[in-house]
Amino acid sequence: MISFIIRRLFTLIPLLIGMTLLVFLLMSLAPGDFLTPIKQQRDISEEYIIELEKQFGLDKPFFQQYFIWLKNVLTFDFGYSWTYKVPVTELLGNRILATFLLSFSSITFAWVIAIPLGVLAAIYQNSIFDRLSASLAYAALSIPEFFLAIVAIYVAARTGWFPIGGFTSIDYEFMNAPSKFLDIISHLILPTLVIGIGSIASIMRIMRANFLDVIRAEYVMTARAKGVKEGYIMFKHVLRNAINPLISSFGFALSALLSGSLLVEIVMNYPGLGQLIYQSLLREDQFVVIAAIMMSCTLLVLGNLMADIILAWSDPRIRLEQKN
Amino acid sequence: MRLSSINDKLFDLQYARIILIFIFLLQITGCSKPNIREFKQMPVPEDAHVFSQTLGKTGGIFIQSEAGELATLNPLVASDASSGAAIGLLLGALTSYDWVKGEVIPGLAKSWDIGKDQKTFTFHLRKGVFWSDGAPFSADDIIFSYECYYDDRFPNRTKFFLTIEGEPCKIEKLDDYTVRIISPVVYAPFLSFVAGVSILPKHKLQNAFNEGTLLKEWSISTAKNNPEDIISLGPCVLHSYRPGERIVYARNPNYYVIDKNTTRLPYIDYIIAKMVSDTNTMTVVFAQGQTDSETIRPGDVAWVNRSSQTHDFRIIDRGPSSSRTFIWFNLNPGKNADGKPYVDPHKSKWFNNQKFRQAISYGIDRNGIVEGVLFGRGAPQYSSVSIANKKWHNPNIKKYPYNPKYARELLISEGYFYNNKNELFDSDNNRISFKLQTNKENDIRTEMATVFKENMYALGIEVILQFVDFNTLVMKISDSFEYEASLLGLTSGSGEPASGMDVYSSGGRMHMWHPQQKEPATKWEARIDELMKSQLTTLNVDERKRYYFEVQEIMAEQQPFIHLVTPNLYSGIKNKWQNVNVPTLGGLLWNIDEFWSIEK
Repeated sequence: MISFIIRRLFTLIPLLIGMTLLVFLLMSLAPGDFLTPIKQQRDISEEYIIELEKQFGLDKPFFQQYFIWLKNVLTFDFGYSWTYKVPVTELLGNRILATFLLSFSSITFAWVIAIPLGVLAAIYQNSIFDRLSASLAYAALSIPEFFLAIVAIYVAARTGWFPIGGFTSIDYEFMNAPSKFLDIISHLILPTLVIGIGSIASIMRIMRANFLDVIRAEYVMTARAKGVKEGYIMFKHVLRNAINPLISSFGFALSALLSGSLLVEIVMNYPGLGQLIYQSLLREDQFVVIAAIMMSCTLLVLGNLMADIILAWSDPRIRLEQKN
Repeated sequence: MRLSSINDKLFDLQYARIILIFIFLLQITGCSKPNIREFKQMPVPEDAHVFSQTLGKTGGIFIQSEAGELATLNPLVASDASSGAAIGLLLGALTSYDWVKGEVIPGLAKSWDIGKDQKTFTFHLRKGVFWSDGAPFSADDIIFSYECYYDDRFPNRTKFFLTIEGEPCKIEKLDDYTVRIISPVVYAPFLSFVAGVSILPKHKLQNAFNEGTLLKEWSISTAKNNPEDIISLGPCVLHSYRPGERIVYARNPNYYVIDKNTTRLPYIDYIIAKMVSDTNTMTVVFAQGQTDSETIRPGDVAWVNRSSQTHDFRIIDRGPSSSRTFIWFNLNPGKNADGKPYVDPHKSKWFNNQKFRQAISYGIDRNGIVEGVLFGRGAPQYSSVSIANKKWHNPNIKKYPYNPKYARELLISEGYFYNNKNELFDSDNNRISFKLQTNKENDIRTEMATVFKENMYALGIEVILQFVDFNTLVMKISDSFEYEASLLGLTSGSGEPASGMDVYSSGGRMHMWHPQQKEPATKWEARIDELMKSQLTTLNVDERKRYYFEVQEIMAEQQPFIHLVTPNLYSGIKNKWQNVNVPTLGGLLWNIDEFWSIEK
């Protein structure tokens, strides 16, 4: 088990090196650099720009920049943001909480709703409920997230039930602790729904299909023949077997945890990582972009690793050592 | 083409209206018990600045949108407008600038003497002023700040304002409340540049200075986690900062300005700057009464005004703004690394012909641009100094009213000819055609470029439009020089002639038509260099005016910049705010410390 985990983590290293090299290359190919917009400001002198260029290492070719960066990373120095003059880790750290909260709540929301719905749709296959849930799921899947976000803002504006975008209200600083808590929750509801609805549909459909596959298995018939109670069969035998593919997909969900809400964050003015990364990309604030990409890459690998471990725990037939 | 661009604009308006309905008021519920940090209020300074406007009442919250994300609160690092605005509320300088009168006024220095050599400035500091944390302010802070800006370990923008002809200023402390600064040469904008040097607290930043970590101080991390570490001399203190959301400023209890009743200014309790990344949203948010003040673009004035009754605000027409848009041709005769000229030699010949540029200028329907692009809310622009800049604008320069017939005559007299399809050719049988680039992010510019193309078509000139992203445009203008013509805009802050040095002088980086020349390429550029230098080295305002007026005459005669139009400037503000002094240039909120609200 441990050797499996270590082996998996080792695959991260070439992956990260390849990814970051690619990003460095692409950013150096993009027109201009971080200092280009400043060059068009009339009250910034030539000497200052040259000094900054030297300070940022932008006067060197990209591979040289890359190796300097790589050397620093080995000492756990991920560089600092040129815009904010703050270490990248600190900058991402300041924003991570908002995004994590949003992703966590939307993933929980999606799973908690989708799995029972999928199971019900499978058990009552071809019933009105099944048909209805299928058509709703198709509708939800075909609406893009950003559009849902705009609709959500519209609803919030018309009804006044929810705050319109943002993470906290404008008078947040003047609230006491319980109202602060409630304020954050009320700001979370709409973005959670918006991000959650799309994944509910897909998780539900996958769950239903798996469940139907397993329900036809011979051991289910055997169990029924033995006179085991229907509910017990469904939850003890069928569900345990049907949920495996979803656990694998959990790995991807984890990697999307910190980057998946980008569009919604921008539309709903939610001050999370997405906004920051997007702005940094536009401004070519190199180290922020690279750190963000490394982070989601690492999360992807870790997520898959965790999914495999959970899978082994949930399904005794799977042996990690032999599998890999 | 022009019609369709108007339709687009109308569509935009519709769209904006829909968003306006979409996005509603964020309920600003009553602010219960603010959990504000306690400050030690020090006695009123002996030399407090007593302001003379209408006495106000303390209280109120001022909410405004901020276009960009705060980057830093460290004046050595800041290079963007949002950070500059924030630092302006927190820190002070020796002198300050009165935007209504257009002159330098006392700041932390209550007065100053200018020596006979016109280079020695002795500043008398206000006595009894305290930093917001209760520490006394003295000459040591001034000396410390200038040391920071001059230190090679900390590259910063300010250093270069304070470096005159390559030499630093000499600064010495005469006593605790007197500082002498000696400029290396007579330098006209000295006092207004001093107004831009934010004073740093020695007692707070000395350690960081010694350790060489000064650039890392007062970052957004400090602002978020330890706002109390950022202390101030200006009207406000930092109350809190939430990345991507808002900055909250509270009143500085130790601010050095009082009113006649010895009430400490500012009157406003809190200023909240909301980060709104999109200018359309900023306008909508103001129209919905969520913010107290906003700059309104000419195209938005009409619909925003419709809700002025409901939300009790007014839109102030401030006349022509200081921003101007112009077209210029690449006059650079140089070659790139491969020996290829930046501009085709036969095109370069057209562009370098003064009469050709004048003919183009006569061929532009500026009033048409004002009507079609700005909805009549703007004015034609001929001078390189904005009309709004009343002090320095020369009204008697050569103007180029729309006259296509004269433009054609001018071209023909220069040896150009028309074929039977009304296409213009030069004497070597080359069709007159050039590429005009502008940045695609700015729709007003792309619309103006489209009108320009139509106008040129009438002159038989083919213009190929290229809309590129801003970075690409800047690279072409300032690095590769491989372009034919370009359309861009500039805004001039205080309109101080010295800030135009890098545009007008032939060695300047912003001398866009042919930047960074070693020797002036033409006689008129040499003359401009001379005049710009002369205006810089005298403190006599009338003399400076004479030099600067001549610069404008040459610019108008030569047309290296072919100016198009200047949009009017509109600012919206809620009617409850009093003491709003509207300047023709600069921001509406320059004296926000004096604002007070009649609402309770």
